[in-house]
Amino acid sequence: MSFKRLDPEDFLTSAQAVSQTVWSNNAYTLEQFFTSSTQAASVSGKYYLNLYNTSSNLDGAVTQFNIAFGDSTGRGTVLYNSDVAGYSPSRTIYGQYRSLMLEDENAVFNFGGVESTYFYAISIERSRYKESLLPGSLNLFLSGSSAAGGTLTNLQLTDNSGMVTTPSYFGVQPYYQIISGSGGLAYNKTSGTNSNNSGYTRESGSYGLFFPDTATLLLNGSALDLADNMGVSLNTGLSDNTDQDNPAKLATAISGSARFQMNCQETITSDFVFIRARNSEFNYSENPSFISGSTGEVIFNYFINNPQVFPTTIGLYNDGNDLLAVAKLSRPILKDFTKEALVRVKLDF
Amino acid sequence: MGYLNNNIITVDAILTKKGRETLAKNDGSFRITQFALGDDEIDYTLYNVNHPSGSAYYGQAIDGMPLLEAFPLEQQIMKYKLVTLPRGTAKMPILDLGFSAITLQQGAQLAVTPQTLNYLGNDQIFETSGYVATIADVRTMATFEGVGISSAAATAQNSTSTTTLGTNVSSTVIGTQINLRATTINTLFGSNSTLLTTLTVIGLDSGARATVPVTITKVATT
Repeated sequence: MSFKRLDPEDFLTSAQAVSQTVWSNNAYTLEQFFTSSTQAASVSGKYYLNLYNTSSNLDGAVTQFNIAFGDSTGRGTVLYNSDVAGYSPSRTIYGQYRSLMLEDENAVFNFGGVESTYFYAISIERSRYKESLLPGSLNLFLSGSSAAGGTLTNLQLTDNSGMVTTPSYFGVQPYYQIISGSGGLAYNKTSGTNSNNSGYTRESGSYGLFFPDTATLLLNGSALDLADNMGVSLNTGLSDNTDQDNPAKLATAISGSARFQMNCQETITSDFVFIRARNSEFNYSENPSFISGSTGEVIFNYFINNPQVFPTTIGLYNDGNDLLAVAKLSRPILKDFTKEALVRVKLDF
Repeated sequence: MGYLNNNIITVDAILTKKGRETLAKNDGSFRITQFALGDDEIDYTLYNVNHPSGSAYYGQAIDGMPLLEAFPLEQQIMKYKLVTLPRGTAKMPILDLGFSAITLQQGAQLAVTPQTLNYLGNDQIFETSGYVATIADVRTMATFEGVGISSAAATAQNSTSTTTLGTNVSSTVIGTQINLRATTINTLFGSNSTLLTTLTVIGLDSGARATVPVTITKVATT
């Protein structure tokens, strides 16, 4: 007998979360940011900007994420039809994320207790992450504008996953607050303008919402517009029926800091199969070198009562004897009538 | 007193081409129910029963050898299986297919009835569980079927026909007799006059295995 049936207890299913980098070339930190003038001038450019890892006309340029701007009343972008007020790409973007995240067409985005009518959406390109983004790995550095505030302000944002035990939910959508801090924790500021230790702004709530499952960051526009070491004086344009180029403003703030760190995660479900070869089993081989001549005698008389075989491969079969999967050992193991073998085979899906 | 090594050996498995195919079929055929052990790379002539250091070193040349990674083609791996036989077995079971090579004209039929030699004290028997036969390239056969075994596994396996859109895939059947009919399709030949594949038969009880080359010759059209 060369096949042995597996018992139900020989199978074990286990799920394990693994994490890895998001950006191209397995980089944890994305340091260079490029937009494409072609994409910006295209129809899609009305809604979002693609951010690339290299100049978009070079080989190897890959979209890393997109930036969109959303406003509940359609400000900051040109109307679809100048005779129809309020309907513009920014309103479309706002409604899109409202439906997706809040699951309520009448709801307003609330950033850490403060409602805001406009936001910047950063969507990680689908091919860059596996299953979801890894909470606690987000570190987004923004470089502020010196023109408005006089002094250049820089901001480091993270999610607050290190400060809460479970995420909050909009419907089925888990989310974390985006705060000033790093590695999932707020800066421990005990004095100064931000003394609440929550990482929030003083009057505009949190800096945004982080949705790991949909790989989206909604940055609170009014928080980023703050000066005085709270925001980065982003100067979001909110005029009606005017293209204010708001996504480009955020792209500039990100590019100026040259650091965007993010990891993703994936749950890998593994099937373990325990292969048990009893002492009396699998002690002879159909290997041609085990046999001498054409009549089937074993190669050494020593093998008649003390057969020694060296399994190297495990084949997993279905009822129809189709070979479905194979596993190789790292080295042969000696098997004879005095030895039993237990091998755990891992199947990943 | 020393500690016994109770480590479990853990290895990662890869799906074979057949495994991916059955997974894609989504018909329940991707269900692992049994296993076998193989020793494809081992050369037992390296086992040195005259080693001067004694029996503990007989397998020295085999013990530490590096092994190749797994191949995904099911025809190229698990060729030589380990078998369970009574202690004291002096002769290994051998399959006799009645052919050392098979040559068929287009559309011609052949029945292969394997027998097992040297199994459980019998010089020559038909194994009660039957034989599993695999044709490496199912495109070369118009008919490839196993008959004579009515177990649930055999019935299920034989009723699941392997279809292909021109890709070289294998097909496996179970039976005491394997019926082959060569393809009648001319386009497979291209500019060649023959098609080549292999037929592998394994005894389900004994584990004995035999592979014969199969040649399909094109019938000249006038």
